[in-house]
Amino acid sequence: MTETAAGIRIRPLDELDISAIVAIDEAISGRYRPEVWERRISYYLRRAPEASLVAEVDGKVSGFMLGEVRSGEFGLEEPTGWIEVLGVDPAQRGKALGRKMAEGMLEHFRSHGAHSVRTLVDEEREDILTFFSSLGFEPAGLRPFVKHLEDRRPG
Amino acid sequence: MNVKTSTLPKRYHEAVLRWKDVFLPDYDFLLENWDKHFPNDPEFQLCAYRELGMCSEIECGDLKGKPKAQKAGDLLPEQAHHLFGAIRAQASTEFGSIQQHRLTLARAQEEEEQFWILRMMAEELRHGYQMLHLLVEDDWSSVSKESASDLIEDVLSMNTGSHLLGAFNIDFDSFVDNVVFCALIDRVGKYQLAMQKISAYKPMAESMPQMLREEAFHLAAGVVPMRRWVTAAARGETFVTMEVLQKAINKWLPRGLEMFGDERGGGTNVRFGLKPMKNSEAQAQFYQEVEKLVRDLNLRYLRARIADLTHAGSETALDRVLAGETVEGIRCEDLLYVPAMEFFRRRGVPSFRLAGAQGETFATVPEYLQHLVRTLPEAYRASRDFKDYVEALTAVQEGRMTAEQAAGRMPALRRVAGACPCSKSVRWMVDDPVVVSAPQLARPVTGQPVA
Repeated sequence: MTETAAGIRIRPLDELDISAIVAIDEAISGRYRPEVWERRISYYLRRAPEASLVAEVDGKVSGFMLGEVRSGEFGLEEPTGWIEVLGVDPAQRGKALGRKMAEGMLEHFRSHGAHSVRTLVDEEREDILTFFSSLGFEPAGLRPFVKHLEDRRPG
Repeated sequence: MNVKTSTLPKRYHEAVLRWKDVFLPDYDFLLENWDKHFPNDPEFQLCAYRELGMCSEIECGDLKGKPKAQKAGDLLPEQAHHLFGAIRAQASTEFGSIQQHRLTLARAQEEEEQFWILRMMAEELRHGYQMLHLLVEDDWSSVSKESASDLIEDVLSMNTGSHLLGAFNIDFDSFVDNVVFCALIDRVGKYQLAMQKISAYKPMAESMPQMLREEAFHLAAGVVPMRRWVTAAARGETFVTMEVLQKAINKWLPRGLEMFGDERGGGTNVRFGLKPMKNSEAQAQFYQEVEKLVRDLNLRYLRARIADLTHAGSETALDRVLAGETVEGIRCEDLLYVPAMEFFRRRGVPSFRLAGAQGETFATVPEYLQHLVRTLPEAYRASRDFKDYVEALTAVQEGRMTAEQAAGRMPALRRVAGACPCSKSVRWMVDDPVVVSAPQLARPVTGQPVA
C-alpha cells in the first residue's frame, strides 16, 4: 500500500472495489456491466490479489489497473508481467493515477520474477499509446492478428 | 517473492488427509475438475507456505525494533502463551469452517458458486494445515504440556459445537449461509491474518502472506454471489430474497464482531508485538467494511429495480430511500441494513443486552425474543445454539447469572453422537471405509468406498 501524494493512495484491489470499478467503466464506456466486472475481479482476486491495484483519491476509488505475471503466453516461457485492463475516472484525470498504479504494478511484477512487462493497446487510442510510451514501453516484436469467425449457428 | 513450502511429518500429514476424507469428501472431485473451473491456476497443494525475506524486527509494542523470535523458546513466557492460544484458535476456525460448509455445499444452485466454495474449503484446509505446522515444527513445551500428537489430535477432533470460537459452532441451514459466512466471517479472518502478518514470532508472520492471498478470493466467493442474489431479488426472482439475506446477515454479523475478542481487550497482543491493533480498533474497521458491502448491495439492488438509473443517480436514490422516502416504489424496508453492533451479542461489552437489530432497545425478554423471531432465520431459531442463547439471556436478565458467566458457558459442547473423530485422527489411524455424513456433489462413481 502506497501513499503517493496528498489524498492519493495506491493499494491492492479487493472485492469491495467492484462497485467503484463498475462506475469508472460506466463513466468511460457508457455501459453498465456489473456482471462482467464481478467475474473479472473474482478472476484477479483468485489468481494474484496483490498484483492488481486501485488508486484512491480522498478515499474514493478513482482508478484501477488489473494484471498478473504469467508464463507460456504466445510462446513466451519466461515469467512476464501483463497489464490487461486500466481505467481512470474521467473526473480524476490529470493526477497521474495511471502512472502511479503502473509503478506499483511494475514493482510487483519485478518482485515476482518478471523481467519484462507486456500489454496490448488499440492503435487508435492515442492517449493510451502515449501513456505507455511515457512509462518506457515500446513496440514489441509480437504483432496481434485477428480473424473474425462467421456465425454458423442455425437461424 | 521467495516462498518455501514444506509438509508436516508423514503421520501428521496423513492424519490431516484422513480428516479431509471425512469432512471434505469432495476434495478429489475438486482437483479432478480444477482446470475446468480454474483454468491455468496453479494446482492446489496441501502444504505449508513460508514467505521469506519479511521484516525481521518487531513492528509494534514494547519490544518494537528488537529481533523477531525465530522459535517459541525465544518468546517471553506470557507472549508465548498468548501466541500459542491464537495459533490453536486459528487452527480450530480453519477446520471448523469446513465442517460447517460441507453441510450445505451440495445445495448451491449455481455450479460456479459451488466450486468457488469448494475451492475455498480446500484452502481453509491448507490454512488449518499451516497452523498445525506451526504447532509441530516448534517446541511449545514452555506453555503446553501436550505433545505434538496431542495438539494435532485435539484440533482435529473438534467438531461443530466444540470449536473455540462461537461462529464455528453454528450449523449452516442453506447455501445462503455458505455465501454470507464467506462475506462476513472470512472478512474477520482477513483482519486476523493481516494483523498476524506483523507477528513478533517470525514463523507466524511468514505464514500469513499466502493465507491472505487465498483469503482475498474467499471474500469474493461471498460478496459476488450476494451481489448476484440482490440483483435477482430486485428482478422479482424468489430464490433468495432480500429478507432471507438480511436474516443471514443478522445471524452471522454478531458472531463475526465477537471473533475480535472483547472490545476492552487486545492491548496485550499489541504490547507483545503480536498484532498492531486492539480488538475494538479492528472490530470498528471490520464494521465499516460491512457497511460498505451493504451499501454496495443496496446500490446494485436499486440499479436492477430502476432501469434508467445512473451511478450517481443510484447514490442519490439510495440516500433518499434510507432517509425514509419511497423512490420508484422502493422503501427503506426493501433494502438491506447492517445490524447494530450491540444486536444479538453473547460476548463482549454489549453481551446479553436487549438490543435490537436497528439500534432499538426492548424492555423485556419476551419482547426481545419476538424481535429475534422477526429478524433471525427460522431454521436457525430451531437450533440448539439459539436455544442455549435464549436460556443464557433469560438467566442474565433475571439476575441469575452475570453476562460474563453466561458468555463463559457458550458455546456448550453438546454434540456427542456419531463416529468419534479421534478414530480418524493421529493415534488410531486405521484403514476403515470413509464415513460420509454430508451430501456430496453430483459426480461419476469412482469406486471410492462411501457409506
